[in-house]
Amino acid sequence: MKVGSTAGDSAGNKQAELSVLTMFFICCMVFSGVLYAQETTEPENPATEIPAAEEKIEPAVIEDAKAVAEDAQVDVKSRLEEILKKNAKCLRCHNRDKSKLLEDGESMSIQVHREEYLNSAHGEISCVSCHRAIGNRKHPSKSTNISISSEREYSVEMNDSCRKCHKTKFTQYKGSVHAALVAQGSTKAPVCTNCHSAHAVETMEDYHVTTGFPCKNCHETIFNAYSDSVHGEARINGNTIRDSHIQAPICSDCHKSHEITALGIGDPLRATCIGCHENVVLLHTQWLPNAGTHLDIVSCAVCHAPFAKRRFDLHLYDNVAKIPVVQKEGEEPLQQQLQAIADEGSDGDPLEIWKQRSGMGQQGQAVDISLRSRMEVMSGVTAHQIANKSFAVRTCDSCHEPNSRQRQNVTVSIPGADGRKQSFEADREALSNVEAANSISDFYALGGNKNKLLDYMLLLALLSGLAIPIGHFTLGKMIKEKINKGEQ
Amino acid sequence: MSTIPSEPNQSDKWIKAPDPDLYINPLPVRIWHWLNALGFVVLILSGTQIRYANLFNLMSFETAVRTHNWVAFAVIANYFVWLGFYLFSDKITVYHPELNMKKFFTKAFAQMEYYSFGIFKGAKGPHKVLPYDKFNPLQSITYQIVMLLVVPVQFATGLMMWDIKRFEGAIQMLGGLKVVDTVHVLIYIFFVSFTLVHAYMGALGKTPATHFREMFTGYEEEH
Repeated sequence: MKVGSTAGDSAGNKQAELSVLTMFFICCMVFSGVLYAQETTEPENPATEIPAAEEKIEPAVIEDAKAVAEDAQVDVKSRLEEILKKNAKCLRCHNRDKSKLLEDGESMSIQVHREEYLNSAHGEISCVSCHRAIGNRKHPSKSTNISISSEREYSVEMNDSCRKCHKTKFTQYKGSVHAALVAQGSTKAPVCTNCHSAHAVETMEDYHVTTGFPCKNCHETIFNAYSDSVHGEARINGNTIRDSHIQAPICSDCHKSHEITALGIGDPLRATCIGCHENVVLLHTQWLPNAGTHLDIVSCAVCHAPFAKRRFDLHLYDNVAKIPVVQKEGEEPLQQQLQAIADEGSDGDPLEIWKQRSGMGQQGQAVDISLRSRMEVMSGVTAHQIANKSFAVRTCDSCHEPNSRQRQNVTVSIPGADGRKQSFEADREALSNVEAANSISDFYALGGNKNKLLDYMLLLALLSGLAIPIGHFTLGKMIKEKINKGEQ
Repeated sequence: MSTIPSEPNQSDKWIKAPDPDLYINPLPVRIWHWLNALGFVVLILSGTQIRYANLFNLMSFETAVRTHNWVAFAVIANYFVWLGFYLFSDKITVYHPELNMKKFFTKAFAQMEYYSFGIFKGAKGPHKVLPYDKFNPLQSITYQIVMLLVVPVQFATGLMMWDIKRFEGAIQMLGGLKVVDTVHVLIYIFFVSFTLVHAYMGALGKTPATHFREMFTGYEEEH
């Protein structure tokens, strides 16, 4: 024990002090250096690959086509004449303003305007190339006893004929949300001819920005939101954005043209925005704390559509496979399954019970599913109301102020088997519920989904922090007074 | 050790070192202590602002987060002044002047008894402060737990939440962001209470200002 060290030590002490002080400054320098490096290092662009969807024709195929064309050059003229002759045979009747009564009682125009058809992209193609059945002497008529049930059914039936020539595009379309809806029996989801028209066939290279055709036909409110947005205005006015070669986007730039997807589910949408706005990651890093996380979980429109109503969108995430959990085909919707569990009145978190029951974890598979959350806008319409960036929301409080949470909705979403997201409303309290803490362990937003138990603990700590000193002090005073009285 | 010749007048106390043998708190410790104190107050205030933006409006949320981050890094850097001083000087013994459990507990109970009764009767504290035996057993054990466990855990959880993406692996390992945050908040709650009690106990010297003054001058006055 060194009790009672003398002043002789103080010189050594001073030396130790000096060396420690020097160390402190070195530590500070190193820390600020590290910090500075972190601030200035350009973050990796987390944009996922933008798929190049364009149809690519192999050079060999082009060569083959050239050779065939050269061989057949002599034939081309005669073949064309033949096609026109054949088509002329059809157009003789179908050029007239005629309608046909269908099985459903509606009448369908069977008129094909000669000029329109000849000037269309298919002008040099014979009618029977598509109407193959008719070519096989099966022209619908009283004599052949072939009839058409409805215009829609005929369009869906005819849709397959596009596949013959447009294989890639057709495959892309088959994977789209439109085709999925058609397969489900939707009477509105478009087939090829709804956008490209049946006979006045057009390529969509010249998208009708002002009229919104063809998307606006079904998505009118969304198109109107788009056309008032910074993107729509720039495009309609013919302005280019930033670099002269980049034009403001039209529908298909974000949603693609044939493999149309709903962009509601996180990453694809973000990748689409970053695809053009390349430097956004860096720009956000410069001022936004945890910029990477914000860009991961906050949909761009949440801040960039300043008047949008927002919501917390919870989704199930498989931590082992590292993908969102998708609704299995033919399975009862998740909402109903969870509601059924809740109705049983079982104790505990319905999701935990659902996880145990749903068979995951059988065959030794690891179960590690949690709820993750994203900030989304409430509707597809608001998602398109992107404003000029000077109007973007920059106040943290609009999401992180606890009361702002109370105004926001909470939804649970699960991507369906067809790729579309199904959302249903959830209880707001779910975010701060102690019981649900395990399910939402991966979701936490500052000032937001606070655990109320911790608030009470803080209150208790604050009270004890005040009560201990006050109590001890008062007790001391009382005892001293008693002692003084005793002495007197 | 009655080395203090007579009761020095109030102004002398600030200038004169009463006893060179009782130089208890060397400069690095004093610098660390007061920077840390200031840092903790700012961290608690900005942290409260972040967590309870609906109840307080000391500063905007953005300012609160920015302040909290910068001050936290300063406090972490400052921690290494404390750690460095005790690792690289022989003063580390102030935490363990003697590794004798029996003596430790006996002294600890004596100290508790003093705070519960003796102090009210005007008795002298059972622990005599010396340069190599600075803390009473209760201080020693509390400060060791706080400085070697609680504070580092608070730094680690705070650092993870400062850049969630960078520390994603660690956060997942600990059971998710919610767990990390809850630990950080629990320690914050502890420090709210600790700071208040610590300040009160600092005022239990000969006069309420004595221990505060000692922490500025470095010299122990009470003997």
